Amino acid sequence: MAPSGSGVAQAARRRARYPARYSALALLRRGKRPWPPILRGGELASSYDAVVVGGGVHGLATAYYLASNWGITNVAVLDKGYLGGGGSGRNTAIVRSNYLTPEGVAFYDRSLRLYERLALDLNLNVMFSRRGHLTLAHSDGALRTMRWRAEVNKQVGVDSEVIGPGEIKRLVPALDVSEAPRYPILGALHHPPGGIIRHDAVVWGYARAAAALGVETHQSTEVLDVATSGGDGPDGKGPGGRVTGVRTSRGDVSTPVVVNCTAGWASLIAAMVGLRLPISTHPLQAAVTEPVKLFLPAVVVSGSLHVYVSQTDRGELVFGAAVDPLATYDTAGSLSFAEDLAGHVLQLMPGLGRMRLLRQWSGLCDMTPDYSPIIGPTPVDGFHCDVGWGTYGFKAAPVAGEQLAACIATGEVPELIAPFTLDRFAAGRLVGEKGAAAVGH
Amino acid sequence: MSPQRLPARPGEVIDRRRPLSFTWNGRALSGFAGDTIVSALAASGCRVFSRSMKYHRPRGILTADYWDPNTLVQVGDEPNVRGGHRLLEAHMAASAQNAWPSLRWDAKTLTALGGRALSAGFYYKTFMRPRWLWPTYEKVLARFAPGGVIDPESAPRRHDKRYAHPDVVVAGGGPAGLAAAAAAGQAGAAVMLVEHEHAVGGHLRWDGASGRAAASELAEAARAAGVEILTDATVAGRWEDNWLAIVERAAGGGPERLIKARAKVLVVAAGLIERPYVFAGNDRPGVMLSQGARRLANLWAVRPGSRAVVFSANAAGDAAAADLEAAGVAVEHVDARTGRTVTAAEGRRNALERVVLSDGSRLEADLLVTAAGWTAPTSLLNMAGVRPCYDPTAARFFPAEPGVSEAGAVLSTGGISGDGTLEAHVSHGEATGRLAAARAATLAHRLRVATAWAAPVNGPEPPLVPDERTPLGRHRHPALFCSSTDGMVDFSEDVSSRDLRNAAAEGFDSVELVKRWTTATMGSAQGKLETVNTVAVLAEATGSTISEVGTTTWRPPFAPVTLGALAGRPFEPVRVSSLHDLHVAAGMAPISAGQWIRPEHYGEPQAEVRNVRANVGIIDVSPLGKLDIQGPDATDLLSLLYLNKWRRLAVGSVRYGVMCAEDGVILDDGVTGRLGEDHYLMSTTSSGAGAVEVWIQNWLQTEHPDWRVRVTPVTDAFTSINVAGPRSRTLLERLTDDVDLSPEAFKYMQVRRGTVAGVASCVMWRIGFTGELSYELHVPAGHGPHVWSALLAAGGDLGVAPFGLEAQRVMRLEKGHFIVGQDTDALTKAPTAGLEWLIKLDKEDFCGLPELRWALDGEPGGAPEALQRLVAVQPTDPAYVPPEACQIVAAGPGGTERIIGRITSSRYSPTLERSICLAQVEADHPGAGTQLTVVDVSGRRHRATVMADHAHFDPEGGRLRG
Repeated sequence: MAPSGSGVAQAARRRARYPARYSALALLRRGKRPWPPILRGGELASSYDAVVVGGGVHGLATAYYLASNWGITNVAVLDKGYLGGGGSGRNTAIVRSNYLTPEGVAFYDRSLRLYERLALDLNLNVMFSRRGHLTLAHSDGALRTMRWRAEVNKQVGVDSEVIGPGEIKRLVPALDVSEAPRYPILGALHHPPGGIIRHDAVVWGYARAAAALGVETHQSTEVLDVATSGGDGPDGKGPGGRVTGVRTSRGDVSTPVVVNCTAGWASLIAAMVGLRLPISTHPLQAAVTEPVKLFLPAVVVSGSLHVYVSQTDRGELVFGAAVDPLATYDTAGSLSFAEDLAGHVLQLMPGLGRMRLLRQWSGLCDMTPDYSPIIGPTPVDGFHCDVGWGTYGFKAAPVAGEQLAACIATGEVPELIAPFTLDRFAAGRLVGEKGAAAVGH
Repeated sequence: MSPQRLPARPGEVIDRRRPLSFTWNGRALSGFAGDTIVSALAASGCRVFSRSMKYHRPRGILTADYWDPNTLVQVGDEPNVRGGHRLLEAHMAASAQNAWPSLRWDAKTLTALGGRALSAGFYYKTFMRPRWLWPTYEKVLARFAPGGVIDPESAPRRHDKRYAHPDVVVAGGGPAGLAAAAAAGQAGAAVMLVEHEHAVGGHLRWDGASGRAAASELAEAARAAGVEILTDATVAGRWEDNWLAIVERAAGGGPERLIKARAKVLVVAAGLIERPYVFAGNDRPGVMLSQGARRLANLWAVRPGSRAVVFSANAAGDAAAADLEAAGVAVEHVDARTGRTVTAAEGRRNALERVVLSDGSRLEADLLVTAAGWTAPTSLLNMAGVRPCYDPTAARFFPAEPGVSEAGAVLSTGGISGDGTLEAHVSHGEATGRLAAARAATLAHRLRVATAWAAPVNGPEPPLVPDERTPLGRHRHPALFCSSTDGMVDFSEDVSSRDLRNAAAEGFDSVELVKRWTTATMGSAQGKLETVNTVAVLAEATGSTISEVGTTTWRPPFAPVTLGALAGRPFEPVRVSSLHDLHVAAGMAPISAGQWIRPEHYGEPQAEVRNVRANVGIIDVSPLGKLDIQGPDATDLLSLLYLNKWRRLAVGSVRYGVMCAEDGVILDDGVTGRLGEDHYLMSTTSSGAGAVEVWIQNWLQTEHPDWRVRVTPVTDAFTSINVAGPRSRTLLERLTDDVDLSPEAFKYMQVRRGTVAGVASCVMWRIGFTGELSYELHVPAGHGPHVWSALLAAGGDLGVAPFGLEAQRVMRLEKGHFIVGQDTDALTKAPTAGLEWLIKLDKEDFCGLPELRWALDGEPGGAPEALQRLVAVQPTDPAYVPPEACQIVAAGPGGTERIIGRITSSRYSPTLERSICLAQVEADHPGAGTQLTVVDVSGRRHRATVMADHAHFDPEGGRLRG
């Protein structure tokens, strides 16, 4: 689409003009006085050039790149709850690019590169901690998959290597690499660029930068319907139609572009334009321990034991596991999750028995048949999707936002997201990340 | 440090005849049995117990209980021990966690100098430039991580778990909880009472002689009613249908234990938690809550100060003032109900010296006790779907009416539900206990009906008793949260009221956002002390009410649980076949294959291959999944599961089958034999055995519950032995007399039942995974070792020898048989593996039919792009064996390389004396003779050729059909 008023979309990069830039010096000058608000909100306007549904990291990144890379600033991000209240605030904040397919690796590599310089781009320290990422193998089969990933990564130019128990012990001394465990550690895929990041800070950083470029963010604003015309189905919905606006809990808004950046509710939003998405929603549970002094220098993942663990800069261990097997919107979590998790962690690091689990929670994951996202245009003109992110949406947010913004602005599907468009399911062109993503953190 | 222990007092819980010596930061001290770490230290005159997380401010006792954020200590190799709760033990080595070089002189207090800039979230606003310095900044920040030290090398302890099925669980052993437990017990219910502290009684324990008498009377009544009382235990979580996690911190003096209880009714009687008051200097050592002061004085006979100001808004504060006076402390009473408030606690360094009041007066004091109000710990109720609801008159949250959920299986009583006299609480507790017992009886009846197959059910269901309890009242309480000055809201996270207001001004104006930005309520007490003050400050800052702001979600666990207790004893079963001891005796090299331990080889796998090809070998294939399928609809089931047809399979024949999921992706493969008209024995892959059983049950139970078919897993009921090689028939003939093994009578792909080595009812089928003439014997497992030994003994002259998994893998690769999960992956559909011949699209239905029809016929909407094809590949260099998972590349656009496939299996073939592979390659490339480029792990390129047939060896199959 072309942004109203400005003629043709342009790729000239705009810099955010913050009411007050963050820096050490500015901190000292300001002392204990509050800083200006990070958001731009107020009343809903009657029309926008684009409406982004979902105020998580994907929606905010998309809005930011629309504004900064393409000058499309008359944008509203709507969220029925609060900023980053969904998957953005519930994930385990691991970033990496050691995927299995060439398409996946190239895509996440771009994301990781954006993350690496995000603090400077957004003028907010997202505390990216590049600490290396180890995926442990406890069986011949797992080791073979690690090698597969390493070899694909190397071909695409991403730093990954299969290492043995001695090197694993050197990197993470707390791991038991002896023969004693029931499933001894045979090797690992070592991915040095991987790490962790402060996930909430990424949300706030995009929100603040987007606001500084003119984007509005409206929390507690639920999208009730998406208005379309000309579609094949009832009420002008369905393929062949085009978006004309959204109906929200705070009134109607007209817009030619709606971007679905939701998780858990992605298929419900898509249903508002008469589209069905091949998505089922499963909860993914996570937990955190009390803090202890730092002893775990890398992110450790074990697919066979269904666990991943990292230690935050605050000293807490953050754990995750595989998605729950049954499809549900219930986020109550379970006791068996905590029990299994603890058992598996202690198999990896038997000395941690006295650490205490402080809190557990869960989030919703929209799973697609091939464990890859659905991103890009749809058969409804003006309705774009950035959904189906399963368990790996957080690490993809920068590149998804950047590429989708380009897609919306130019009408062309960029090469990096071309493998992930909705039409692949009809074309039988699935992307095989299922094997790598089962516990792929 | 001057000693503060008072003379013996009535009600004290210490045993002065049993002194215990311990160390604090290396210094030798002593306390008494019954002391907590904190009470012993306080008795020794200690006033500073920790340094705060961000500003390293000195911190003293706040609550003197489990939730005290200021008294987490390291004990030996155990971090984050609740010093206010953990009982003192002889020779305990306790130390402060967050101080360097010492608690008294903490170098990081310097951060307080820079504190001007250190508001909540400051780190998000700095350390960005230069980018290369961030890792260094990060290391420095990490030094400020709070918490104790974990030693990853410390020895694991053994934790057991317990399962319980009580009728009623009462969470909280205060007066209402005790009364509820006793009443439920008297009504005939099996009751478990879970008390967080080391003794039941709740606040009655430090509430004077009459309180103590009432407590012991109530406890006695509960015991007499048969209530199981757990102390030092917490109901940590509550899930659907009252599935409870109860953590027993020192079960019988042992390590922490997790009790998993399925209660019919849960009664939450968690009492109230006292709320700190926010004002300047409220985190200064010497400022404590009224319950902390009372506990110190009355339970442990510790004088918390010598000159006190008691700021009181309620009866508990007034009682604290009286208690302190009785303990010889000079007390100045400041009554909050008159409108006077505290505005500052001032002093030098680590000591409180004076208290400033709102009227400007300054009172000399070394102790300031506040009683500003209560927080209802509604977590367990929230986990049952009950929302907390703010009552401005009582100035606290209550469980939303009616306070019950899930068919009335969750009730509350005591302080969490309302206010009243002791008698009122006891009476409400008793009514709650009776209600709980009655409802438990109804729910028990329902459970028995639901499991009527186990025991007959007598009589009709008792009606679910309505809740006719007289509700507890609510007392008016001043709304005291934050004074006119700023102070600490979250002690463990060092978050002040100013931080919260600034956060709101910066746009973090909802409780969830402010929590994440400032980390308020995310510390050790998980908001039990902090949430309401956070909400109150935020409400004021945003001009809304406390109700409008609401609370964050309470998440399990209520109190933290050790990983050891959650894990319990490791339960990772090891599976071995009945032949395991024989393999060990034969010198096997073991390999882990899923849960199984199997012989990888017995010394020389290449020789084992040669022996099978030349003579005869036997391999233990017991881990093969085996399912006995019987019933008139058994054939329908097989037709549904497999791609190929089963109706015409003759009794006495076996057939190879492949299963796909609905998406057409290969799920499993194996051979199934028809033993009778309605009787099949199905074999699955070893690794897929469990999943296939679940898969079948899923179809039977959800889609075809009407089918008359029974599927029984019999993997372990049989020892499975494959006898393979040109001399296998000769060998078997020597041990069999009731089965005609001649090639005419027992053809390839047939099954017979007969006697082997004297063992009747053996199932044998003629198949050939190795590509040789071979018979697979399924022997009743108890006779496995006998048959194995007999085979070896009878074939000495034939050259019989055992062979392991590795030799089998080599031979199957020579033969070009794929392994599901190795040569196929999560996207491999049947056509990719070359299975078109097996797929019968004219069958009425089978799993994966629509997807495979589309893949093969292109209906509807045109055929999908065929992505990959499984092919046999031989490297040009016969000595080069490419590692499995090596990539296959082709020239891409602009001189680049593009991945077009990968090696899925590779071995050196002793039969062909060259390297052989299976590979998945893009469908455009796999014609016979195509030259491929394989990239070695080292990066070197090797040439390889696509073969015409999957089988590298004997593609015509003459050997196995012979």
